[in-house]
Amino acid sequence: MIWVVVPAYNEGRVLGGVVEELVARGHRVVVVDDGSTDDTPAAARRAGAVVLRHAVNRGQGAALQTGIAYALRRGAEHIVTFDSDGQHAAEDVDALVAPLRAGRADVVLGSRFIGTPSVKHSEGMPGGRKAILALAVVFTRVASGARVTDTHNGLRAFTRAAAAKLDIRLDRMAHASEILDQIVRHGLRFEEVPVHVRYTEYSRRKGQSSFAALRILADYVVGRWMR
Amino acid sequence: MTSFQWIAFAVLGVSFVITLTLTVRRRIAPRVGFAWGMLWIAAAVAIARPELTATIARALGIGRGTDLVLYVAILAMVFGFFAVYVRMRRIESDLTKIVRELAIRNADEE
Repeated sequence: MIWVVVPAYNEGRVLGGVVEELVARGHRVVVVDDGSTDDTPAAARRAGAVVLRHAVNRGQGAALQTGIAYALRRGAEHIVTFDSDGQHAAEDVDALVAPLRAGRADVVLGSRFIGTPSVKHSEGMPGGRKAILALAVVFTRVASGARVTDTHNGLRAFTRAAAAKLDIRLDRMAHASEILDQIVRHGLRFEEVPVHVRYTEYSRRKGQSSFAALRILADYVVGRWMR
Repeated sequence: MTSFQWIAFAVLGVSFVITLTLTVRRRIAPRVGFAWGMLWIAAAVAIARPELTATIARALGIGRGTDLVLYVAILAMVFGFFAVYVRMRRIESDLTKIVRELAIRNADEE
C-alpha cells in the first residue's frame, strides 16, 4: 500500500484539491498539519486524509519525519512525500513508485530537469530560481556526493525499508539536503524520474523566497557539523 | 582605595554571597556555583591589584592589563553564546520529538 505524506502549513485554500486527487487514485494520505492557523486540518479531513497535528510549528523537515513515522506504523509498503501547495501532480505518484515495485531502487526522486522536452517540466519557473537550483545541485555533489539533477524537489518515494532508515533532524528547509546525505550514507539505490512542477501565482507567493537559500545553507552546514 | 574600587567590591561581594547561597541551597549545581564564585574572586583580585593583570599581560606579549581583561571577556562571551546556541538547538530538537509523539498519539482513529 502506498502512503502519501503531505506536510502542510496554512494551505487550507489548495490542500483539499491536492488531497482529493491523491485519494481518487486510491492512495492513503496523511497530512501533517504543522501548527496551521487556518482551516488546513478541516480541509484535509474533508478530502479524506488522516490528519496529524503538530501542536506548534516545527518546520517542513519535522513534519515529513512525523508523517513518515506514522505511515510506517500503519504498515505502508511505499511512502511518497508530496507538497501541499498544489505544485505536484497526483498522476506522478505511480511513476515514482514503479522503480521501487520493480526492485530497481530503494528511493526515487522527482526531478524537474530530466526527461524529453515534452515531459521536462519547469513551466513558469522564474529564471533566478533556476540559477539557485543549479547551484544547489553543484553544492550537493560536493557535500554529499549524490549525483542528482534536482536537489530540492518535494516529490520522493521510499520503500518501507529505506524510509525506516531515514532520520530527518533538520526541522526546517535544509532537510532536502539531509535526506540526500542519508541516502548516500546508507548506501540506498536511488533513481530520478521526471515529474511535473506547476509554478502558479499561489505557489510562488507561498513558496520559499530565493533569498531563503542562504538560510537553508547555513542551517545545513551547522546541522552537519553539530551532529 | 579609589571610589571605583569600593563600588566594584560591593557589587562583587553581593554577587559572591548570592552565588554562595544558591549553591548551598542546591538551586544551582555545585560545579556552576564554583565557576561563578571563581569569576567574582578573579574580578576582585584584578580590581584590587591592577598591576597583576599588567604583569600577566606583558608576559603574554599584550600591552596593557585592560587589554588582557578585554580579550578574556570577549572570549568568555563568545564561548557563552556558543554554549547557549548549542543548548537551544538541543531544546528545539527535543521539542520536535515531543510535538511528533503527541501528533502520532492523537492521530485520527480510523
